[in-house]
Amino acid sequence: MPEAAVQPLLALTALGGATPRKAVHGVLTLEENPGLALASLALRRGTSRPTPFGIPLPDAGGWTGRDGVSIFWTAPDQWLVAAEARADSDFAATVAAEAPGCSVTEQTDGFAAFEITASTGEAPILSLMAKLVNLDPRRYGPGTATRTGLEHMSVFVIRPAPGRLSVLGMRSAAGSLWHALETAVARIAP
Amino acid sequence: MRLQGGLIDRSKTLRFTFDGKSYQGHPGDTLASALLANGVRLMGRSFKYHRPRGPLSAGSEEPNALVELRSGARQEPNTRATVVELFDGLEAASQNRWPSLAFDAMAVNDLLADFLTAGFYYKTFMWPRAFWEKLYEPAIRNAAGLGRLSMEADPDAYDKGFLHCDLLVVGGGAAGLAAALTAARAGASVILADEDHRLGGRLLAESDLLDDQPATTWIADVESEFASLPNLRIMRRTTVWGAFDHGVYGAVERVADHLPTPASAVRQTLWRITARRMILAAGATERHIPFANNDRPGIMLAGAMRAYANRWAASPADRVAVFTNNDDGHHSALDMKAKGVSVAAVIDARPDAKAFGDYRLIAGAHVTSSRGRLGLRSVQVTHDRGREWIDCGALGVAGGWNPNLQLASHQRGRPVWDDTLHAFLPGDLPAGMTVAGAAAGHGSTQAALASGTKAAVEALAALGMTALPATLPRAEDRASGLHPLWHVPGKGRAWVDFQNDVTVKDIRLAHKENMRPVEHLKRWTTLGMATDQGKTSNVTALAVMAELTGQSIAATGTTIFRPPYTPVSLSVLGGGDTGTHFRPRRLTPSHEWARAHGAVFVEVGQWMRAQYFVQPGETHWRQSVDREVLATRKGVGICDVTTLGKIDVQGADAGAFLDRLYANPMASLKVGMVRYGLMLREDGHAYDDGTCARLTEDHFVVTTTTAQAGPVYRHMEFARQCLWPELDVQLISTTDAWAQFSVAGPNARKLLERIVDGFDLSNAAFPFMACASLTVCGGLRARLFRISFSGELAYEIAVPARYGHALIARMIELGADLGVTPYGTEALGVLRIEKGHPAGNELNGQTTAQMLGMGQMVSAKKDAIGAVMSRREGLLAEPRVLVGLLPVNPADPVVAGSHLFTKDAEQRTETDEGWITSAAFSPHIGSAIGLGFLANGRARLGEVITAANPLQGQQIALRVVSAHFVDPEGERLRA
Repeated sequence: MPEAAVQPLLALTALGGATPRKAVHGVLTLEENPGLALASLALRRGTSRPTPFGIPLPDAGGWTGRDGVSIFWTAPDQWLVAAEARADSDFAATVAAEAPGCSVTEQTDGFAAFEITASTGEAPILSLMAKLVNLDPRRYGPGTATRTGLEHMSVFVIRPAPGRLSVLGMRSAAGSLWHALETAVARIAP
Repeated sequence: MRLQGGLIDRSKTLRFTFDGKSYQGHPGDTLASALLANGVRLMGRSFKYHRPRGPLSAGSEEPNALVELRSGARQEPNTRATVVELFDGLEAASQNRWPSLAFDAMAVNDLLADFLTAGFYYKTFMWPRAFWEKLYEPAIRNAAGLGRLSMEADPDAYDKGFLHCDLLVVGGGAAGLAAALTAARAGASVILADEDHRLGGRLLAESDLLDDQPATTWIADVESEFASLPNLRIMRRTTVWGAFDHGVYGAVERVADHLPTPASAVRQTLWRITARRMILAAGATERHIPFANNDRPGIMLAGAMRAYANRWAASPADRVAVFTNNDDGHHSALDMKAKGVSVAAVIDARPDAKAFGDYRLIAGAHVTSSRGRLGLRSVQVTHDRGREWIDCGALGVAGGWNPNLQLASHQRGRPVWDDTLHAFLPGDLPAGMTVAGAAAGHGSTQAALASGTKAAVEALAALGMTALPATLPRAEDRASGLHPLWHVPGKGRAWVDFQNDVTVKDIRLAHKENMRPVEHLKRWTTLGMATDQGKTSNVTALAVMAELTGQSIAATGTTIFRPPYTPVSLSVLGGGDTGTHFRPRRLTPSHEWARAHGAVFVEVGQWMRAQYFVQPGETHWRQSVDREVLATRKGVGICDVTTLGKIDVQGADAGAFLDRLYANPMASLKVGMVRYGLMLREDGHAYDDGTCARLTEDHFVVTTTTAQAGPVYRHMEFARQCLWPELDVQLISTTDAWAQFSVAGPNARKLLERIVDGFDLSNAAFPFMACASLTVCGGLRARLFRISFSGELAYEIAVPARYGHALIARMIELGADLGVTPYGTEALGVLRIEKGHPAGNELNGQTTAQMLGMGQMVSAKKDAIGAVMSRREGLLAEPRVLVGLLPVNPADPVVAGSHLFTKDAEQRTETDEGWITSAAFSPHIGSAIGLGFLANGRARLGEVITAANPLQGQQIALRVVSAHFVDPEGERLRA
């Protein structure tokens, strides 16, 4: 019996699949991103601001990224650090090592991450945002991230690039979030 | 009849039906214009008296021409024919008539008019009271009321969205176009919304030239410049229907209402527009002049009559007359004449009126009655020389114009009477709003254009932007010369509010019955309370009331408007999603596994939790639940408890912080241990319970109940940020991050030993209330807590959520020989009731630690939220405490919610001794059991009391016992 235990457990994506879900509607592509590792980073009293992975912590509303690692502001003295394709690693431990003296908490599986890309630049992304979130696109351009409501769910909306939109929502509601996103994407797509 | 010209596309013919009869129209037509062009004036029956009615207006203010549109599930009642864009195949039907529009049996109501006066319902249907619901209301609804619902689900999709701009311009007429042009040229982000499908507003309905060219030429030029301005968004078919706080406006875009079916598109979109400034350029609505029998089909607003002629090339008749108290009425006559319609006369109430062209003018005269059963045939004109009947098929009535200031009123801004214009003008405006054009009383085209430009320059200046006024075309700038005439005195019924069938007589009666404040008048007569919100009646009614009271209109009162400006469908307000997508659904990490293993799910807030797992042969839920409970107590059971809130608490002061939050001490908790915790509210009542696990000196993980996961996290954040910002604490929710399973039962340790990676689970190494970070199944990081909700030897094991599915599958696979079983929330509930563990039913916001038997937990050695208030005299004197309850007759049920009384005592509120909070069938005991709060319960163990359930007439004898039905000494969970 115990020998079966050494078989590693297999992970499912937030949407419950063995592989990430993807939907293409016209110029817009919506894709689940199960590889995204997340850890929260909070400053402790009296600690100086670290620069994890060499990235300066962005100010309120800001997002910044390089080489597959990105950081966005989530609350006063608090950020989420994200890394592509590292969900299976103990990313919180890695971040903790990069941010000595800070409070770091594993958040990878707290969220379902969805990436939306437009093949024709920013315009379809702005149209989509208008249907999804009450954010003024003039204030939330590329390089910003914020927490807001989407279909009665709390989400992070990230603008990594003009033609891209990332939405992080609570993992347990991944199905509802996917439905909301795909419905809107399908309606926007020409 | 169809006239020449107009803004319709005659190259295409559209077929449509009205009450089953086929007609033809053209693109650009509305249903009303197409019907008029086909010689149909009769379009509906009135609400109360079932009087034949035709369109009064040519716009969204229409009170009369309400029809049912489409058929089947898409059938929509109360649609205004005046704003329905014609499409090929459109089906419309009249409503509120039986058996037909031309012969309506309910028109008998009209003969009872003296009986059906103001306040009729209030006076008549007072008794017997029992008759209201079953008899009066259905009968009234059948006789009155408007259209009918299809009673089928709405098949269409609705959407919603959010827009932001510097300036929102509401209305695309002269003022709105000038404002949008001025602001957009200056680089501001501008949204221009108009309810029509075509920009131009009233300009489309007029024959006046702009710069010696038709207005449509200027509009086309403006639209072509609009197309080159990326900072301007034009929203056609979009009604801004509400002005809300903080510069937020509600708007509905009718995306596909003009199409036979929306196909794949959404039907309507609800937009929330956040605008830094707003210009209300909604124009004005013409008012009529009540006279006897003024409601026949063919009698309409004079401006509407010329709009039908100029824009839609339609006339209600080939011979028309005009009744006016101002010069504008004469222009309606001139326009009709120019279109080839014969003008029988212009009846002008002003004795000194002059003709503006070649037509018969009867100055100083009133229209005093009309004839024509289903449509106007003639009008009676009375002047100082006598009376005469003038044959005409339509009468345009011009009583002046009321500014459309509704949105300016949506935040309680009361309109202000202007004695010069004889109209209400916007009063206190919502922040950021300016009113321009006819809505501000600037009624001529020239004045409207200028006021729109000025408003835009000022709005942008307020935003720190500079705009240059647009060069405006030359336009008409006529004065109206209005002399007020609010109604024609006389004996017959003169309608004021067409949609709710309110006459001058009704207002007079209301006055007589002392319903004099305007708000009383409105409710007594139902004036202005129909779906049109009295757009064509409110001001006239006020004026009539003023005349009766002998006061000025300003002193009589004013009217106020609330959203929506025009009716909005509930579907679009609902935002579109229905059924399973109506609200977010949260699924546990083992959801798919549970579904595949026969789980029946239950909604727990947004969560879907497995309630029980049906095995082959089980036909009743109790069979499944009893099996799960017994199997857990005998072998080992596994339950997904991911839904319990998890909050990561870190920082140098984490322990001190938790000490202040929980009633019992937490700072003293040793690393590697867990402690049950009880939180109190500020008022001293129990708030939530859960566990605190100390992973390291400065790192705790606390759990909350499922229901309070969000509120407790918010409560803790409030405490951290506002109460004790000096503490070094960091919080973050990890509820979704970890899949957590309860593994409970005598074989729990044996099962876990098969998945942990060399971790010592012995009682000595990992005792009751221990916790640890470890790895399982060959290196997967996990957390293990030895806590028990069931009273059994139990653990909770957590792994990253993505592995939850695989972990439960693995444990079930490995535990087959240990009697492993998955169990759901129902068995979870039975297990915890058997153990006497409080849950939501006991922590219901009305109970205290003392009542829960946890009074000693409220530490006297430290302070915590609610601790002081929990020692209030009144709370300390509370005698009720948690006890267990067993039926004396084992076959009897225990019913939660029942109230507890001393046996044989009289059952009154004063003798009530408590209530049953939780009840279940205990397969362990073999009967129903319950938990409840009972006065002096601890001293009454063994006593037989009565549980009264007056709802079902039950009186059940219960024995008071310890709340711990299972293992009262707690030996099992420490095993």
